[in-house]
Amino acid sequence: MRIKVLVALAALLTGTPTLDGVSEQSVNLATPESFASIADTAARSAAMFTELGKVLTHPRCVNCHPAGDHPHQGEQGRLHQPPVERGADGHGLPAMRCSSCHQQANFDPARIPGHPEWHLAPREMAWEGKTLGEICAQIKDPARNGGRSLEELVHHIGTDTLVGWAWAPGFGRLPAPGTQKQAGALVEAWVKAGAVCPN
Amino acid sequence: MTMLTVTINGRAYGPREVRDELSMNDFLREYLGMTGTKFGCGAAQCLSCAVIIDNPDGTSHTMPTCVVSAMNFNGKAIRTIEGHAKDGELSVLQKAFINHFAFQCGYCTPGFVNEGQVLLERLAKKPVARVDLEKTIAEALDGHLCRCTGYIKYHEAVRDVILADPGRYLSRD
Amino acid sequence: MWTSRREFVKGATASGIALSLSRLALAEEPGFAARETLPGRQAWNPAATGAGRIDGVAKVTGAKLYASDFRAADLPGWPANTSHAMLIRAADATHVYDGLDLSRLSGALKPVVVVTAADLARTGMRVPEFYAGDLLCPVGKTPLYLGQPVALLIFEDFDTFDQARLALRDEAVLKFGKETGPVKMPNYGAFRFTRVGGPTPDALDVYSPVKNGWVSPGRFEDSGRPIWARLPIPSGQDYAEAASYGEKIRAELAANNPALLVLDREFETQSVDPMFLEPESGLAWYDARRKNLELVVGVQSPYEAAESVAYLLGNAQAAFKPARINNNFAYCGGGFGGRDHTPFPLYVALAAVFFPNRPVRLANNRFEQFQLGIKRHAFKIRTRIGVDRATGKMVGFAADHALDGGGLANFSGQVATVGANAALGIYYVPKVDVTTYAFHSRGVTAGSMRGYGTLQTMTALEVLVDEICTALPLDPIEFRRRNALATGGRTMAGNPYIVSIRTPEILDKLEQHPIWKERAEQKARGQQAGFLVGTGIACATKDYGTGGDGTLASVELTPDGRITIHCDYVEMGTGIGTAVANRVAAHLGRVADQIAVAQVDTFGPLALVTSGDSYTMKQKTQDAAARNPRWVPAISTASTASIGAHVGTHAAAEAARIVFRFGLWPAALELWGIAPNDPKASEWKTARWKDGQLIMPGLPPLALPAVAAKAHARNGVTGAMAHAFNRWAWSQATFSLNGQAWTADIDALAVRRGSGKYVRVDRSNVKFPPTDFNRIGQSYTSGCGHVMRIEIDRATGALRIAKAYSVLECGQALVPEVVIGQAQGGFAMGVGYTLLETLPLYEDGPGNGKWNLGQYIVARGSDLPLHNLEIEVLPPVDENERPKGMAEVVMVPVVPALLNAIYDAIGHRFQSLPVTQKMIKGALK
Repeated sequence: MRIKVLVALAALLTGTPTLDGVSEQSVNLATPESFASIADTAARSAAMFTELGKVLTHPRCVNCHPAGDHPHQGEQGRLHQPPVERGADGHGLPAMRCSSCHQQANFDPARIPGHPEWHLAPREMAWEGKTLGEICAQIKDPARNGGRSLEELVHHIGTDTLVGWAWAPGFGRLPAPGTQKQAGALVEAWVKAGAVCPN
Repeated sequence: MTMLTVTINGRAYGPREVRDELSMNDFLREYLGMTGTKFGCGAAQCLSCAVIIDNPDGTSHTMPTCVVSAMNFNGKAIRTIEGHAKDGELSVLQKAFINHFAFQCGYCTPGFVNEGQVLLERLAKKPVARVDLEKTIAEALDGHLCRCTGYIKYHEAVRDVILADPGRYLSRD
Repeated sequence: MWTSRREFVKGATASGIALSLSRLALAEEPGFAARETLPGRQAWNPAATGAGRIDGVAKVTGAKLYASDFRAADLPGWPANTSHAMLIRAADATHVYDGLDLSRLSGALKPVVVVTAADLARTGMRVPEFYAGDLLCPVGKTPLYLGQPVALLIFEDFDTFDQARLALRDEAVLKFGKETGPVKMPNYGAFRFTRVGGPTPDALDVYSPVKNGWVSPGRFEDSGRPIWARLPIPSGQDYAEAASYGEKIRAELAANNPALLVLDREFETQSVDPMFLEPESGLAWYDARRKNLELVVGVQSPYEAAESVAYLLGNAQAAFKPARINNNFAYCGGGFGGRDHTPFPLYVALAAVFFPNRPVRLANNRFEQFQLGIKRHAFKIRTRIGVDRATGKMVGFAADHALDGGGLANFSGQVATVGANAALGIYYVPKVDVTTYAFHSRGVTAGSMRGYGTLQTMTALEVLVDEICTALPLDPIEFRRRNALATGGRTMAGNPYIVSIRTPEILDKLEQHPIWKERAEQKARGQQAGFLVGTGIACATKDYGTGGDGTLASVELTPDGRITIHCDYVEMGTGIGTAVANRVAAHLGRVADQIAVAQVDTFGPLALVTSGDSYTMKQKTQDAAARNPRWVPAISTASTASIGAHVGTHAAAEAARIVFRFGLWPAALELWGIAPNDPKASEWKTARWKDGQLIMPGLPPLALPAVAAKAHARNGVTGAMAHAFNRWAWSQATFSLNGQAWTADIDALAVRRGSGKYVRVDRSNVKFPPTDFNRIGQSYTSGCGHVMRIEIDRATGALRIAKAYSVLECGQALVPEVVIGQAQGGFAMGVGYTLLETLPLYEDGPGNGKWNLGQYIVARGSDLPLHNLEIEVLPPVDENERPKGMAEVVMVPVVPALLNAIYDAIGHRFQSLPVTQKMIKGALK
């Protein structure tokens, strides 16, 4: 089952270069329970993070956790057009603020995403180009995760509405795998099992 | 359907019932016949459709109209290209664009006029050092696509307006 | 009032639809014509003092100007409401189209009209030959190309349309059946251009296209690919002769001659979109009772659009056939060739006649513009050049070009021949053999985009020349000097250019420019600073004109000295209105007060007729036709091929000369008290305008209004309307005016005296350029050289253009600021073409309807050296040098100069476009 999912995801990501027009297709996320067969707690924890990695490395997430100061767009993660920049507060330069285009909510007729807090993740939270292990170490490090404790992290991924946008990205965008609730459950289970990072 | 009231170039429009899916660009162009605001890409990538939002605190910024619902403008005051000239007298920036031969086909011009105007208003409130001027203009205009001109004369026109009134737009350092 | 005579002349199938009969009446709202006549009576005219363009005020105030600005409510006399149409297009061109499923559009969202291929057949619609192919794909056929329209849906009002387009966008509206693969079609043209010069450059050619005619191969493979080999077929002797010479040239290049350096390289260019900012749109209203069709569109080819729409409807059932079509041609939001001969107006007209009595708007959004708009051809080029190692001179050249023309023929054949004739660039080579063919594919239709053909083949050439210079080695400027075509030298077609050739000056300028002189120091500086610096140079020449250009204009003077100009040329940004005003001002002393462009309906008094195809006509046919004093080889040409300054202003300039010579000059003589038989009376050529006053040595200056008033008072010529034709030379005729013979580069004339009506003046001694001139590849050309310095980041491959310099020549620059602006815009487009822009050709490309500016990246300000691009325009060779076209040539050398700079920086030559940051990074590893 999982292999199938990965293959499907891989096909979606490497298939046609113009996925922006694809209809919504959800890819599942394994539940924490499905990892019960892994006896070793650390291995189980790491495996769950690996599963969570499907979300973290999804374009819906990585596009706004870029390396550098420019967000990306689309399923291919191409550079955002127009070429906006992070700015002092992650909300854009004075002349081109995120909120100029991105409103309170998605505006589907124009295929544009929206959220009241639309902005770039801080530079130290960049995920672009990193291995899952590196992302994991980073996500646990309060210096690089916005000063969050592991509990706060569970809350952030499981309930934050900007994070939640990834599962309701609007017309023409693939949502992140599973649901936000499932992702939150995985984070919680991963933390409970020791928050072990995969290699 | 929701009721929309919006002030455009100082004149109140509405309340008028509009569909939630209606874009502001279509509201302006199809309902009000105000086609000075252009439609270029429909995806906020060329910004030929940008208008000026006048915030209650006296600041202004631009916003594309093609990717934003008309309802998002409810209660807002905006300026469009049709509103820059006062009693037939062109704004300083409009004149500068003409005198510099800044545009060719002119289809991107409304966006550049609006963006340039907002920049002038921002600098009037928060002047910039001379040394940062070119970069500031470049950042301000970079969202706008022009296919005819190579942008140079637009930039030169905006810069000349600023340099002609340094006390207003440039900081002393 | 002017009726399209061509339809009558062409014979039995004539539709007899009258074109462009009436102007819209002026009501409270200014009508279309009033809005499009700039700057307008009361408005400030920045052009009057050189302080801007005539359309300046309109364009900075958001005035309704473009086709996309107009709705029915804006037009006096039209119904109040606008209905909206949408074209449904096929994103599949390999399966049989099985029909439409509109079940999604139930209830209120139902279209009021659905037009399909069956409806077009049923009602007797005809496809103009130029657009051969189904306008709507019929059920049961595989779409001819990706994005081919299959149906036209019309909705009562905008609200319904807006909701319907949302409902349809994520649904599979089209049903497809069995897989057939792409539709096979014959190719769009195949030619071989072979020249063997005589023993010296001045000697007669042994063989050349001009001497021996143009040839095409007679045999093709099953794929449609031409068989270039000389086959012993009895019907193809013309071709066999060219092929014999060609094969000999190729054999010499392949002979491993140690005295020759021979490079054999392939180069590929990509498909790109003109990406003018205003997507195509149109508004039309068919008043069935009056049988009147009103059309508002913005195209580069108004005359052609009017004719094509008339042809489309000319044989239709009575209910669908207008008696009159009034065409309203608007300012264009960019063109770049993409609005020249576009099929879009045909669909606008169909929408109107299938929903009579209701104004209907059809407008592409950007996805649709990418899907259906005309593209630039992707080329595959193979070039072999042989250079004599001892002299550094090119001795032999062979190339093979293949162009992907996409779904419809459009201008593919012409682009192929222009590309082939441009293959030698600025150089002279005594032995040349170039084959070219354009083929059909399921891709989006390609046409004549800015620099068409030349951009592709000259880029390949200039990159190869750079490589030759490295291999010889020889300084790139010196190599170009030794090989440059000299004034009077023969092009590869076998004819010399008839205009100035200024390559030596351009090379001097490039050589002396600091960017070039400091290239070594700058490279060293970069090495110290940790980045790679490269300097690249390239030189280009580009023909202007199409070899069959007709042009129309009228110039009128009021008693108070105000000037009104009408011309057929289209304003798409190039500043034609201002250029024509300035050219007329040289003769009449004042920048025009009103200018109407894109006119096809104001030249009725000339009563022109035409017949045949000026490009393929036989001399006998032309001679016979020319006996009719109203006949011309072509009436009006598209605004294309950089002909604005040269052709687009020509008829107006000639008309203005006549108004001066036979209106103002006699009036001035009277004011000066000079008798007509006074020798001074014939010295009109000495007169000059200065600050609105007519200056003659020894006589008091006269203000234009005074002279104009006198011209009116004495019933002199106060208006002139002229037509001219250019086939690599101007037509010429003599007209009797005021009892004198006036010979000029025009072939039709009407004049107005005082405030009277225009009266046609019969021509005599008409000389049309001989039909043999159709063998000429090009006779008008202008030159441009470019040098630029770039910096490349070693780690990321990011490229920055540090400094750039273009030097160009264009004869007399009519509006110098516009010339500079064109060069700056050409630079930006060249940079985008080299580094950013690309469209996959088929299923992943724009034909799938999913492309917008997020994927298709054009140059922004941040991609360009906004404060480090220098443009220099050479002054004309003398004050009488006519304006030369320059809007295309300025783009051409930018591309190879940038590629050569990349090579200089990283030591790798890319053989395809675009060169992305990723590719540079890859090459650096």
